[in-house]
Amino acid sequence: MELQYNNEHGRNDQIVSQFLLKTLHIVLESRVPSLRPPPSPPRSSSFVKKSDKWFNLALGDRPTAFTFAHRDPMIIDIILVQEMGQNQSGYGALVETVIERWAVQYEYSRASQSQSSESYKKTYKKSIILLRSLYSMMRLLPAYRAYRTKAKGKPCDFDITYKVSSFSVPFTRSEEQVMKLYTFFPVEAQHGHLSVSVKYRESLSDFNLETSATFPPEIITDYVGSPATDPFRAFPPVPQRPHSWTSGGPFTKNQSPPAYHSSSGRFDLSYSPSPSYDVYSQRTRQQSHHSFDDSPPFSPSPPMYLSSGGNYIQSRLRSETAPVSIPNPLFTRHLSPNLSDPNRHSLPPLSPRSTRYEPSSHESSPAIRSLKKSEMARVGDLSSASGSGSANHYSSSHKVSRDNKDDSGRFSGLLSSSGSPRIGFSRSSSRLSLQDELDDIDFSCPFIVDDVDTCDFPVSDVAFDSQSGAGGKQGKKSQDAAVGALVRMLRTAPPLRQDSSCCSDHVEAQSNASGLFMSRKTSDALEELKAYTGIKHLILSKSKDTL
Amino acid sequence: MNCEVCQLKELDVEYFEIREVLRCILHTIFFHRALGLVRPKDVDLTLFEITYVQCGDAELEKKVDDKIDQFIDRVEKHPNKKNQICLSFFEVKNKQATWFTHKVEHLYWEQWYINLNVAHHPKPHSGKSHHSKLVLDPGESASDEGNARRATLESSLHEVLFQIIKFVNEKKDHIPPIPNMEGVSFPYEITISSSSDSAFGMDMFKRMLQTGHPTMLS
Repeated sequence: MELQYNNEHGRNDQIVSQFLLKTLHIVLESRVPSLRPPPSPPRSSSFVKKSDKWFNLALGDRPTAFTFAHRDPMIIDIILVQEMGQNQSGYGALVETVIERWAVQYEYSRASQSQSSESYKKTYKKSIILLRSLYSMMRLLPAYRAYRTKAKGKPCDFDITYKVSSFSVPFTRSEEQVMKLYTFFPVEAQHGHLSVSVKYRESLSDFNLETSATFPPEIITDYVGSPATDPFRAFPPVPQRPHSWTSGGPFTKNQSPPAYHSSSGRFDLSYSPSPSYDVYSQRTRQQSHHSFDDSPPFSPSPPMYLSSGGNYIQSRLRSETAPVSIPNPLFTRHLSPNLSDPNRHSLPPLSPRSTRYEPSSHESSPAIRSLKKSEMARVGDLSSASGSGSANHYSSSHKVSRDNKDDSGRFSGLLSSSGSPRIGFSRSSSRLSLQDELDDIDFSCPFIVDDVDTCDFPVSDVAFDSQSGAGGKQGKKSQDAAVGALVRMLRTAPPLRQDSSCCSDHVEAQSNASGLFMSRKTSDALEELKAYTGIKHLILSKSKDTL
Repeated sequence: MNCEVCQLKELDVEYFEIREVLRCILHTIFFHRALGLVRPKDVDLTLFEITYVQCGDAELEKKVDDKIDQFIDRVEKHPNKKNQICLSFFEVKNKQATWFTHKVEHLYWEQWYINLNVAHHPKPHSGKSHHSKLVLDPGESASDEGNARRATLESSLHEVLFQIIKFVNEKKDHIPPIPNMEGVSFPYEITISSSSDSAFGMDMFKRMLQTGHPTMLS
């Protein structure tokens, strides 16, 4: 804070700025579970950070870093995100509702200038009290219970996010009717007064916020956009939404505004060309490794978001090499689509190079946990457990946007209410340089040289209808046709990494969608066989010659 | 210096609820009056869905608990009476001794009256009554009446907390300079009285004289 505070005016400004920051801290730390700092070791009673001593209210580390002009109002929206109206395939629309809107402002008033203005000391004392009552109030408003439910960490069918800006879209009339207003008594300051007010929903019973029981994983075979329904479908690009964080002050590179998850009501999918087969492979891979029950199979959407999110969030990332766990790609669909370059990457890109896996992350994505170690070892052929790596940054990107705090992923439980939601989520606590990961993304991963064990597949539930079963037990004809289609896709696909050339060779020998993996493996094996046969012949011929 | 008085809304409580309710109210008041550096500590009530905030001062916690014990003892001795806890904040002034006061004068600048109406329950006393809340008649707790009463009390308690916040925000000018930057910054005292007490009115009268202003009973 480059303020001269050796004068009344400077002090006043400093108090106002710190007041805004402290208010933001108080509001966010009692509403957004993902911003909770990880439990720290018991602090010594004597040590409190200097910055934390403001207003004599020690709260710990600030959840986010914000800079804003203290002349502008600060509007903090607390948003409840729920999935509503799930259709038969299990996907519903994400509905976001503002359950609280906090308005904090330093209101200038000309009138006060003529009077003897409050000394900054009095202002400071009074704002101490105001912040205390704000802190208490946070726990008395209805949204606190929602926060507590969410903060328990168990799967929930909702999530809480926030948005900070210096303006706000006014509520609709119907929304206004259910909202109550509470205004704190303003604190007089030098040239005006500090005011804090909140509009809040009186009752959250409409949302049926509950902790969901864990449920067994469910394989969705006919999810929207599955190859079963339309193998060649291309997904529409994600619409861009405007940024909405504060317009006032400068934002340093490290201050990515909170990701405003704008997937309002639509299951937006965004893919690069010919994603279907990637979906196949990713999905199949996921299916086969579903030993962890926390989340259902992924949906085809996420990669787009993530990749676009990566650039944006990267600046905020502490690029530690902490291993990341594979988030369920579904999770990523909640990322703000207004992040850069949505079309940059396509799919469940699993970088061959990233082998990071964080076994200690107990909240790691189900996807990664479901990857058996053997699978991962084999994955290493091409992607060297990059599934974990790249998948991780889905969650990590999201997490990073939340200031790299360890926590359960934002939508960790969003869609896992018992029975219906089919969408998985990630709970990764990874911190990762997204950019590096994204660079590694390519299409080689689907063709994991993996003996996707037939026993790993939930047999009848595989998405690919008649092509289910790992061993091509179905009618060969239909399978061959499907395989042919796949081959066509493969051939027209963007260039893959070095291994991709092998992929198409023996596809026709395989008989189902999972045959992509199978074909990879078989083609490889056949290649090797050929090579060995050649060598054998060579040796034999040579030996004959010598004989 | 004027003395601000806040009469909190009267609450009808059961025996076993006294401790929680009093803790909640007293600590909330203290949290807003401990203007030194604090590390807030959230406490969830077990009987109600309410979370209040403590200063995180262990000494204060102990003092509050002791006072609550005293209150409960008093309630047990004087059942079926309206009981009141008064939390007063004062300034210490050295004054010349007069026939009315001691040398060191307590200049009260704020007083909080917590009014509790304890429903008389014939309960076997097992030492401290803070165990009594666990000894619930299962039949009673299951009844709708009990639930309705509990719900009413919860919302009343909510109201009381809102009342405290409102009062604390609106009246700030009377607060003296902060003498102590740690913990509860102002000297305070907690007194207990009940309506049957002959000294009940006397206590009030005394305080009125000490503050030099008629107390405002709002």
